[in-house]
Amino acid sequence: MATPTRLTRTLIRSSLRPLSKPITARHYRAHDSPPPAPFTPAESAILSAALSHVPANGFTSTALRLGARDAGYLDASTNLFPRGAFDLVNYHLVTQRLALKDAVQFPAGERIGVGKKVRTLALARLRANEEVGVVGRWGEALALMVQPTLVPASLAELARLADEMWFLAGDTAVDSSWYTKRASLATVYSATEVFMTQDQSAGFKDTERFLDARLEDVMRVGGFLGGVGEWVGYTGHSVVNVLRSKGVRI
Amino acid sequence: MNVSTSKLLARRQLLLSARAAARREPYRCFSCSIRHEQQTPPPPGENGNRTTHFGFETVAEALKEKKVATVFSSVASSYDTMNDLMSLGIHRLWKDHFVRNLNPGSNPLTSRSPISPGWNILDIAGGTGDIAFRMLDHASTLNHDAHTRVTVADINPDMLAEGRKRALSTPYARTPRLDFVEANAEHLDMIPDASIDLYTVAFGIRNFTDKDAALREAFRVLKPGGVFACLEFSKVNSALFDAVYKRWSFGAIPLIGQLVAGDRDSYQYLVESIEKFPSQTEFRDMIERAGFLVPGKGWEDLTGGIAAIHKGVKPVEGMI
Repeated sequence: MATPTRLTRTLIRSSLRPLSKPITARHYRAHDSPPPAPFTPAESAILSAALSHVPANGFTSTALRLGARDAGYLDASTNLFPRGAFDLVNYHLVTQRLALKDAVQFPAGERIGVGKKVRTLALARLRANEEVGVVGRWGEALALMVQPTLVPASLAELARLADEMWFLAGDTAVDSSWYTKRASLATVYSATEVFMTQDQSAGFKDTERFLDARLEDVMRVGGFLGGVGEWVGYTGHSVVNVLRSKGVRI
Repeated sequence: MNVSTSKLLARRQLLLSARAAARREPYRCFSCSIRHEQQTPPPPGENGNRTTHFGFETVAEALKEKKVATVFSSVASSYDTMNDLMSLGIHRLWKDHFVRNLNPGSNPLTSRSPISPGWNILDIAGGTGDIAFRMLDHASTLNHDAHTRVTVADINPDMLAEGRKRALSTPYARTPRLDFVEANAEHLDMIPDASIDLYTVAFGIRNFTDKDAALREAFRVLKPGGVFACLEFSKVNSALFDAVYKRWSFGAIPLIGQLVAGDRDSYQYLVESIEKFPSQTEFRDMIERAGFLVPGKGWEDLTGGIAAIHKGVKPVEGMI
C-alpha cells in the first residue's frame, strides 16, 4: 500500500501549483475519472444568484425565486429544486467544501503538525460563512438541516467536509482512527458552527477560542482513551500470565 | 435457510399468479359484447396505417383519439365519485401535493416585478378543473396573487362542460383568471410560442396518442425557464405491493366502474392504459429528449410509485 505516500506527494505538488492554473480533476480517490460537476450550469446560475439574496431574505423560497429572476429564469423555474430552500443551503455547503482546497495553502517548506492544519482548515471553512454573508442567517440553515427528512443528506455532507479536511491536512492513517478522527472532527465542527451563530465578538474571536477548546478536549479524551486502552491491555496480559503460572491452561 | 426459501417460493407464486391474472383479465369482463362491437381492432399495418395501443388492444393511431373520447364522455359525470372509490380518496392528496409543490403564484410583496404579474398556467387534460381550481386557490390564499391565470384545455367537450359547471361554484367563474378551451395537446395552435409559465397535465398524458409530440408542443408553448409538470400513474416499486395493487386495479376497479358508473369497459381501459404507460425512468428520458432540464432524479413517487410527479424546466438560451 504505497497509496498514502503517493497521495501526500500529490497533495504537496497540487498545493504548490499556481492558483491561476485551473484544476481540472480532484487529486484523490479517482485519479483517472474526474468527478462530475455537482451542479448543472442552470442550477449553479440560479443558486449562486439566490445566495446573494440570503442576507436580506434568509434561506427561503423567496431568495430562491429572486435568484431565479436574476439569472434570467422565471419564478416557476424554482421547481428545478425539489428540496426548495435546502437546495440553497446544500449549494453553499458543497461549493465551500470544494473551495477549501484552494482557500488554504500550506507552505511546503516547513513542517506543520496535522492537528494545526486541521484547525486552520476548520477555521477557514467557518470564515467562509462570514465572507459569503450567510453567518447571520446560519441559524435558519441549521434549522433546515435538522429536519428529519433532510438529516441524512446533511450528515452525509458533514462527513464529506470532515473527510476533506483530514485529507487536505495530509492525514494518511488507514486504521480504525480513520473513522474516529472524522467523527470527532465532524462533532467539533458542527458544535463550533452552532456557537458561531450566537457569537457577537469582533472578528469571531470567541468562535476561534471555542474551536481551540473543543479540539483540545478531543485531544485530551483521545489521550485518556488511549491510556485506558493501554492499561486494560497490560492488566489483561498480566492476569493471563499469572493464571498460566498457576497451571491454568490458557 | 428453509424458511427463507419457502418465503421466496411463496412470493414468486404470488407474483406469477398476479401476472397470470393480468394476462387473463381482459377476457373476464361480463359485458364484452358492446366493446367487441365498437372496438374490433382493424388489422394492424393495413393501408400503411401506424398503430398505437388502446389499453391492451392495438389500434390505428387515427382511431385512438376517438376511442379515448368515447371513454371520457361516458365517465365525465361520475368522474369524481369514481376517482374517490378507485383510489380510496388518495387522488385528492396527490393533487393537493402536486399543486402545493409547484407553489404557483408570485407574492406581490416580494416579487418586485411589475412586468409580469402572476403566472400564466396551462392545464392540459384538466377538463373538470380539479387542478385548475387548486392552482388558483393556492395562488390567491397562500401567495396573495390575484393575477395568476389558468387556461384549462381538454380535448373532450363533455369533460369541459363538467368543468364549466363546477367553476360556477368557485370565485373564479366569469373572471379573466379562468378560461376553458377545447384543444388537442399535440396541436395547441391557439397558444402562442413561449407564453406559458407552467404547463400541467394530471392523469392525462397516458391517453395521448403521440406523447412525444405533446412534449414537443409543451416545450414550444413554455417560456424559457417555464415548467412542465406531470402527475400520472406509474410503476410500483415494491414487488409485493405491486401484486396487491394489480389485484385491486384489475379486479376491483372495472367492477366498481360497472356498479357505480354502469360502464365496465371504460374502467377496463383505464387500468390497461395505466399498465401500458412507460416507467418513471423511461418517461423521464422522454422529457429530457424533448429538451427539458429535469430536477434531481427527475420524478417523485407517490404512494410507493402508484403515481409519480415528473417535472422538466425549459432551459434559458444563452444564460449558460
